[in-house]
Amino acid sequence: MRNTLAIARKELSIYFTTPTAYAMFGGMTFICGLMFLAALGYFQQVSVQFMSFQQPQMLEHLNLTDMVVFPLLRNVGVVFLFICPFLAMRLVAEEKRNKTFELLMTTPISPWEIMLGKYAAALVLMLVAVVLIGLFPLIVSLFGNSGTMMNSGAGTGGVLDWGTVLSGLCGLLLVGSAMMAIGMFISSLTESVVVAAFVTFAILLVLWILGWQAGRLEGNSRAVLDYLTMPTHLEAFVKGAPGLKDVVYFLSFIIFFPFLTERAIEAQRWG
Amino acid sequence: MIEVRNLTKRYGDLLAIDDVSFDVAKGEILGFLGRNGAGKTTTMRILTGFLPATSGSAKIAGFDVFEKPLEVKRRIGYLPENPPVYPDMTVRGYLRFVSKIKGLAHARIPGELERVAALTSITAVMDRVIANLSKGYRQRVGLAQALLGDPDVLILDEPTVGLDPIQVREFRDLIRSLAGKHTVILSTHILSEITATCQKALVIRQGKVVAFDDLETLAKKHQEQDRVISLEEIFVKLYEN
Repeated sequence: MRNTLAIARKELSIYFTTPTAYAMFGGMTFICGLMFLAALGYFQQVSVQFMSFQQPQMLEHLNLTDMVVFPLLRNVGVVFLFICPFLAMRLVAEEKRNKTFELLMTTPISPWEIMLGKYAAALVLMLVAVVLIGLFPLIVSLFGNSGTMMNSGAGTGGVLDWGTVLSGLCGLLLVGSAMMAIGMFISSLTESVVVAAFVTFAILLVLWILGWQAGRLEGNSRAVLDYLTMPTHLEAFVKGAPGLKDVVYFLSFIIFFPFLTERAIEAQRWG
Repeated sequence: MIEVRNLTKRYGDLLAIDDVSFDVAKGEILGFLGRNGAGKTTTMRILTGFLPATSGSAKIAGFDVFEKPLEVKRRIGYLPENPPVYPDMTVRGYLRFVSKIKGLAHARIPGELERVAALTSITAVMDRVIANLSKGYRQRVGLAQALLGDPDVLILDEPTVGLDPIQVREFRDLIRSLAGKHTVILSTHILSEITATCQKALVIRQGKVVAFDDLETLAKKHQEQDRVISLEEIFVKLYEN
């Protein structure tokens, strides 16, 4: 436990004393900010159009949760697809490149502790990312006005359905954790951070776009492809209605790949 | 303290070390000699538990390195060929991290950092980032790391690479001061270093032990008539045969 914490703290101190984490999170919030503005602009445009029809029942279907937060959180998944390979690439590969792997393997610390420490650091990074993303819904709820443009949300108090938003943020945390798990495993297979990042990106991209084929298929093969593709499960969370299969989908990555990483670290000495 | 029996290591077809056996008693300093690629680093990696041997056994303080790796790792300080440092960390942060994963008690860490920093004369650079240090300083940070926790056995792979002459002299004094309490194996190409610091020498050639003796005995064995022969001449001779 102590060793795991020492490793996790070391990883985080390297992420946050070098520009890595700042560059990634800065880029991420900037891109998300653009998406957020685009969604807000669209919402405004549609609201104005609907108001000109003078039909209050149409306006009732307009709300900030579905129109702004839903597309934002769904698209953040794509941003994660780009940043996770770069955050995860150095986790194990850099130890080998720096020759510090030899230090870790000759001190009384087990491969399990090494892996758990590194994955814990990765989870903290994802938590920070999700908290940063959470600022956008927070801005909406602070500055959004439910009274003037629409009457729908007024009854429940806030402009946002926080249950749905939190479910979406949890989904993002799970997506990020699954991506980091894959990235950490790939990183443990190579000495080159560039190769680690590229291979991880390729795998994540395949998991992301697998569903594009599903539309052309039918029956079981369609169901299988739909299940394997990541956006299906993220969307379930963002809509606020995740099922058990969505949770199981992400947990299987989060458990399986760290386990493989431990095996890969242990296997180094036999190489 | 260190018992090595019939140790063999193969990398595929390549026989890196072949049936190596030797003993090092507690408090002894053993000089490990051999040309590049002779198998010095491989032997040291097996002793530290980084690599498994193909056959044979190695014991440190009575513990087999393969069967009781954690017990062995608690008792050794190891400086690999390349100092295993994180360029992005400060010297202090790095040494604190190594103290933790070596399992040093929390209260003992600050004092231990001061002690090894003084021994390796890196006190002045403790708060600098390792990436900005010169090769000699990095080497000394690596050595400081090996000394943390005052381990019984020190395994040093070419410890004086990159040090300037003054630092080399300081290093020799440091190693000599460890004799008696600590068991040290150090590998080097610099033969004068062995004569200055070690009692025993082990010469390895293409993975085989070609000489293992006290320096004096070794000199006597190879003596030509009345002329006293230097270690360098012995080394060249052993490699020519």
